Amino acid sequence: MGSSGQGQSNFDLSFKILLIGDSGVGKSSLLVSFISNAVDDLAPTIGVDFKIKLFTVGGKKLKLTIWDTAGQERFRTLTSSYYRGAQGIVLVYDVTRRDTFTNLSDVWAKEVELYSTNQDCIKMLVGNKVDRESERVVSREEGISLAKEFGCLYLECSARTRENVERCFEELALKIMEVPSLLEEGSTVGKRNILKQKQEQHTPPAGSCCS
Amino acid sequence: MVKKRVPDWLNSSLWSSPQPQPPPQSSDAVESRDPPARAADKSAVVESIVEPRVPVPPPPVTRPVEPPSSSVHSGSTSVKGENSDLLSCHNGSNYGNNNNHNYNSEEDNGSSSTNSTTASTAAVGANAFAVSVPAASSLAVDISSQDQLLQELSRKFINMGELRRIASQGIPDGDGVRATLLLGYLPPDRALWPSELAKKRSQYKHFKEELLMNPSDITRKMEKSNLENNKPDGEDKGFLSRSEITHGEHPLSLVKSSIWNQFFQETEIIEQIERDVKRTHPDMHFFSGDSAFAESNQEALKNILIVFAKLNPGIRYVQGMNEILAPLFYVLKNDPNEENAVSAEADTFFCFVELLSGFRDNFVKQLDNSVVGIRATITRLSQLLKEHDKELWRHLEITTKVRS
Repeated sequence: MGSSGQGQSNFDLSFKILLIGDSGVGKSSLLVSFISNAVDDLAPTIGVDFKIKLFTVGGKKLKLTIWDTAGQERFRTLTSSYYRGAQGIVLVYDVTRRDTFTNLSDVWAKEVELYSTNQDCIKMLVGNKVDRESERVVSREEGISLAKEFGCLYLECSARTRENVERCFEELALKIMEVPSLLEEGSTVGKRNILKQKQEQHTPPAGSCCS
Repeated sequence: MVKKRVPDWLNSSLWSSPQPQPPPQSSDAVESRDPPARAADKSAVVESIVEPRVPVPPPPVTRPVEPPSSSVHSGSTSVKGENSDLLSCHNGSNYGNNNNHNYNSEEDNGSSSTNSTTASTAAVGANAFAVSVPAASSLAVDISSQDQLLQELSRKFINMGELRRIASQGIPDGDGVRATLLLGYLPPDRALWPSELAKKRSQYKHFKEELLMNPSDITRKMEKSNLENNKPDGEDKGFLSRSEITHGEHPLSLVKSSIWNQFFQETEIIEQIERDVKRTHPDMHFFSGDSAFAESNQEALKNILIVFAKLNPGIRYVQGMNEILAPLFYVLKNDPNEENAVSAEADTFFCFVELLSGFRDNFVKQLDNSVVGIRATITRLSQLLKEHDKELWRHLEITTKVRS
């Protein structure tokens, strides 16, 4: 209650989120922008990477484990196993490159269908790089209509200016919490953790809240 | 204090031979792979081992390290001995012609033959990278290894085993000669260096002219050569049957193997390379930014990756190659010798090829589920981790189920 919220086991729910999409659309930038507010240029992702973010949405303390994947086709055999157990999947494209948008239906939606083990898993379409408005080739309307077709959430953002970046993960988390089966999954992971915490708390004499 | 620099796992039986071998043993291994013509040099090599390595006795600190380090190295050197032959023969067969079938995944023979040497080449590669990392040791050690290194490098015929032994401890920054030698790009015989470098550099220039050409130039050239030799191609497995489809050679051709179709496919990979080269080491002025210097360096990385991708259709370009390439180019481009620095692109290309040849099977998608593919490699890594750090292994594989 009085803790800083940085304590790693201090959360109510835990969810696994996956970032996918073509190479260079800004998946890692989106993640880094969300996690650390930094907007530096990043090297290409090799294989997979993950980061953890603790934040509060709708009065709940959440732990998001966000998996960031390499976009190049060569890595798909390796990244496919990371779809397992994800409660949320973010499909990212670059609004200044049409091929990254068409590949969402040609490639990425199919990958999700093939490898996602979670029937109710929440999907979200994200058009990145809206700060480069003059170079835009995919309109907002096109994005919305594809999102409708997939039956998923939609948002445009910019990892560089951080516009809509927080909102993207917040909306995704809220939507996940609306689905009872996903909520259940998130809290079982959380419960296990709380249980562990309690056991730990029994051993040392009470008094220290941060160790 | 030096002892600390050699982690325990490095002394495990995996890396060193069970019975520490005296240095002459390793020189034999080096000798055995040499052509008979070089047997005359044997005396020189043996002499290099018998005579004291350093004119001034090294500081006592380095003494305790000597036995373990030489035992580690005699092991890896002898393996490398077999390896070098493979590397050089790959070099000859693959780069002799531009239609390079050998690297293509469809031919498993070529790929699997190198597998047994994968680990050792990777180790050699690691040595080469030590060049760019300043040795974080005490000054005394630096000086003695620097002396040993300079002495070894000044020999007429360099003892590669000895050089690797010295380099395994990490060596100070310097010219690119060490990297090119350690990777097996330069032959140990100094007398051959000028001709070898001239040959390789002109070969690379040739690759660039041939491979960075646009399709209309290719078709024009092909029509010309078709007129000259009109021989039927009997052994083609439907792969690279270029010469027989002159009629399909136009930009709207639907023929899959059409030059133009290949061009459009290649455009995709070239765009990928361009995107990645631009974001290679974004924190270093050498590689990134708008300066003409950074741009010319990016151009060099791009050329190397494109030439490699075209010569190796079974591998093409895989993200991460830029990371392997960048330090090599950085070292060679910063060579104090102007002549070498100017040819850094060509030299880097061949060093890159040598380095990658040790683990290129990991890049080939068709080999993913084979014993030599990337999955098997990851499984081996996991087993090693389990052996050496069970707690971490359990955390990754069981608690968090990082892999399925």
